Amino acid sequence: MPQVLSTKEQSLFRTVVRNYEDKQYKKGVKAADQILRKNPKHGDTLAMKALIMNSQGKTDEAFALAKVALQCDMKSHVCWHVYGLLYRAVKNFEEAIKAYKFALRLEPDSAQIQRDLALLQIQMRDYQGYIVSRRAMLTGRSGMRQSWTALAVAHHLNGDLAEAERVLTAYEDTLKNTPSKTDFENSEAVMYKNSLIAEQGDIERALEHLESAGKHNLDRLAVLELRATYLTQLGRKEEAAKAYSTLLDRNSEYKKYYDGLIEAMEVHLDDLKARKAVYDGYAEKYPRCDAARRLPLDFLHGDEFRDAADKYIHRMLDKGVPSTFANLKHLYSDSFKKETLPSLVQQYIDSDKSSANEEPKRNGDTSKGASAAFYFLAQHYNYYLSRDLDKAMEYIEKAIELEPESVDFHMTKARIWKHNGNTQKASEIMEQARSLDTRDRHINTKAAKYQLRNDESEAAIKTMGLFTRAETVGGPLADLHDMQCVWFLTEDGESYVRQGKIGLALKRFTSIYNIFDVWQEDQFDFHSFSLRKGQIRAYIEMMRWEDHLREHPFYSRAALSAISVYIRMHDVPLLNGANGVGHSDADDAAERKKAAKKARKEAQKAEREAAAKKAEPNKPTSQGSEDTKKKDDDPDGAKLAATTEPMNDAMKFLTPLLQFSPKNIDAQIAGFEVYIRRRKYLLALKCLLAAAALDKEHSKVHEQTVRFKLALDKDSETLPPKSLEVIKSEFTLLAASVDLTKFNDEYLAKYKDCARRALSALKIRKLLNPESSSKCEKDVAAVISLPTTTVEEATEALDLLTSWKSSEIEGLRSKAAAKWPKATIFAAKA
Amino acid sequence: MDIRLLHPSDIPHVQHANITNLPENYFMKYYLYHALSWPQLSYVAVDVSRPKKTLYDYPRIVGYVLAKMEEDPPDGVQHGHITSLSVMRTHRRLGIAEKLMRQSQKAMVETFSAQYVSLHVRVSNTAALRLYRDTLGFKNEKVEAKYYADGEDAYSMKLDLGFIREQIQDEQDAEADEGEPVGELGSKEGAGDLTVRKKDEGKKRKVRVGRGLGVGDLVERDESQKA
Repeated sequence: MPQVLSTKEQSLFRTVVRNYEDKQYKKGVKAADQILRKNPKHGDTLAMKALIMNSQGKTDEAFALAKVALQCDMKSHVCWHVYGLLYRAVKNFEEAIKAYKFALRLEPDSAQIQRDLALLQIQMRDYQGYIVSRRAMLTGRSGMRQSWTALAVAHHLNGDLAEAERVLTAYEDTLKNTPSKTDFENSEAVMYKNSLIAEQGDIERALEHLESAGKHNLDRLAVLELRATYLTQLGRKEEAAKAYSTLLDRNSEYKKYYDGLIEAMEVHLDDLKARKAVYDGYAEKYPRCDAARRLPLDFLHGDEFRDAADKYIHRMLDKGVPSTFANLKHLYSDSFKKETLPSLVQQYIDSDKSSANEEPKRNGDTSKGASAAFYFLAQHYNYYLSRDLDKAMEYIEKAIELEPESVDFHMTKARIWKHNGNTQKASEIMEQARSLDTRDRHINTKAAKYQLRNDESEAAIKTMGLFTRAETVGGPLADLHDMQCVWFLTEDGESYVRQGKIGLALKRFTSIYNIFDVWQEDQFDFHSFSLRKGQIRAYIEMMRWEDHLREHPFYSRAALSAISVYIRMHDVPLLNGANGVGHSDADDAAERKKAAKKARKEAQKAEREAAAKKAEPNKPTSQGSEDTKKKDDDPDGAKLAATTEPMNDAMKFLTPLLQFSPKNIDAQIAGFEVYIRRRKYLLALKCLLAAAALDKEHSKVHEQTVRFKLALDKDSETLPPKSLEVIKSEFTLLAASVDLTKFNDEYLAKYKDCARRALSALKIRKLLNPESSSKCEKDVAAVISLPTTTVEEATEALDLLTSWKSSEIEGLRSKAAAKWPKATIFAAKA
Repeated sequence: MDIRLLHPSDIPHVQHANITNLPENYFMKYYLYHALSWPQLSYVAVDVSRPKKTLYDYPRIVGYVLAKMEEDPPDGVQHGHITSLSVMRTHRRLGIAEKLMRQSQKAMVETFSAQYVSLHVRVSNTAALRLYRDTLGFKNEKVEAKYYADGEDAYSMKLDLGFIREQIQDEQDAEADEGEPVGELGSKEGAGDLTVRKKDEGKKRKVRVGRGLGVGDLVERDESQKA
């Protein structure tokens, strides 16, 4: 039964609503209380008060009050709508959708509720529900293009392209006048429709539509690009070639256009001369063009390559372009090119020297050319395919001698030290580079990164602080969080892992997890915003990207690091506190877990709220977000590190990793490690099989295959027979009767020259045969004598021996120190 | 280095390039706001030769221009604005910044009928000033005191885009010369409405040619000739 108010109170209620909309929360609460004094059980008023309290940040009280409101008036759409809004505010979209649906059932004509529901449905990718909502909304406002476009988008995302196109056409048919050429919304609608036609595979019709309806479209580049693509697809080569040359005249720095042009011209791929001629034409036409001069180096061979490369190198070194090497290093997969390029640079240096005393051949100072050439050679010898770090150092010193103030040269010098395994020296030199140009943030960023690699956490944040916003409450670290500086948080976390500060490490990786949550949430406002702006193609593109947002390497890297921390916590429970600081372990475990969970939730919520508040689509950078920023009650991640169920916590990072990056072998390997510890054998096997499908010979796949067999043999009695049956039928990597020792020995024999695989096999040998320990340890120490062993692999060997508490540690260390005298990691501890 | 349009999926790496190079940073949503409001205006330079490490590698962005149209311009004149532009230190002196700017400027005129483009630059940033003033032809409008968070002043700069409007008209003239029916080109200065033939229908209809396309506007022409 609807609750009726007196006239005076009805007007008061309207005031409450207005106060809420105007964000006059205190006034709103006051007016609401006035109504409630006489009608303490008035549902709508209670609900409005709850809504206002929520806006004041009193979430828990708001929820409690909204529940009371519903108890008072179950039949009120206002109460249900508010209930939904509260859930929406805490990002519980499923519950919010349910509440909105209740509200809508009670008040089917409410455009506001319908709209709120629709937006949540699309955010949750409930396409069916979204279509229903959009259709209902279209009936209400069929005069507006937006309503039709929205329905078309709903069908499109649902995969029904033809229906989407029909909806757009239906709207076009209602138009009495042809929209003006400068009507942007119409212009974009035409292009959107064109994309739908093409996506249905009807290229003929798409081209026809483009040439008629799209003729004078405002998005000229899109028209030109699509036309070129369609013509190519339709085999109309001559016109396609013309279209691509038009595109190249607009932008001659896009490889795709050259490829399109050459394909359309039907130049045979073996006809290198003809291909080169095409590029030469553009090089001549556009003197400042880089692509036309560089791209032929990809396909030329022999003398032709040498000539073209020589010209390119001269041009770049004369100008002193620092990225010359970066532009060419991809050619190093070809051994001839790898030899030729440095020899051309050497010739360049030699010729310059001979003519140095005569008239300079080039404009400007000749030292620029020489130093750029030395710089190139330094990078050449620093590159992993042509590495000779002593030579690299020699050349970079020569370059620095010519230009002692060059930031770039010092940057490379620091990199050479890094490759030498000397993080300390690398950090020092990078700091020196930074001091040469303190106003440049790029070098500042590098200096901080190298400090982190050398585990100088405090110095690094101080360096970063030279460029973060001074006003940000919470200092540089808070600013880097606000600005979603993923690289810093990742490197900082990884450094804390090395330092054994597990709490801080998990804290950083969790921040990255949360940033991805924010990025996912960020799309919400665009569901309505993009329709208003009329930019539909860009919106669709964003939606498709957001669908697999967490496949991004920024996520994978942080997630993998977090998971490996949790695995270590599982294997070796922390005895001395979160960040290496001792504290007694007397707390009740369940209590600690609860506290940790609560803290985490609160921190996430605060971060999201802060982000949502300041990230209105049409408002630039942060302003006034400070009031919503809650104090972090676990700044050092102590609660995260206090977990008693690290394998459970690891799942949070693992699930998206396996869902979005299933072809990332490291993800599958990590998945196996988590599942095997949780005794989820079927899931562990699934990961193992996926990893084996990607690289059967991977060292970890080998380890895990054997370990899986061992675990299965040990645990088979405790497994349900059905699961065991499935596992046995799927686990075909090893024959049932396999002799594991023999299998492992064969692997070792096959890969005895590969340090990483040998280490894995030795690890397994010790596992299978503990009596062989001392022999295994000796063999591990011997691995570093292999000619191809890298510093990283030697470090792994050292870590392995350390974990075994082996007596060979010192022997390996001194051998490694002799082999890599510059590396800090093997230096004798003072 | 490819120069191409910025796509939403580029944003994490664009954000990375920005926070690596510049003190003025933005969260993801602000980049999305640009990419979804004016998808034609922002460009990136991409290192396409990097070998892929996993199937999920995203193209590495070595430079970007983040651009927008001024919403509700106070002077009532449609114009673009450069929100942010930077190129990784390792990829400088290749002319990437200039190439990014030119692509963006062209699209501002073509798609949004921009009359000019504006930007802010630190008074101490001589390299950027050289690019804007000497290479691209920006004019210094005024100094905005303490524009930046650290207290540094900014030059407020402007570039009249009349020359691009002319280029576009020339291109359309050339097309028309090839016999393709391009209606508005018959337009005389100041003409509001004119009659053209629509290709496929063959009947006459009225088309408004306002400030929108900007072609044939005498006043603007004069300015661009001076420039």
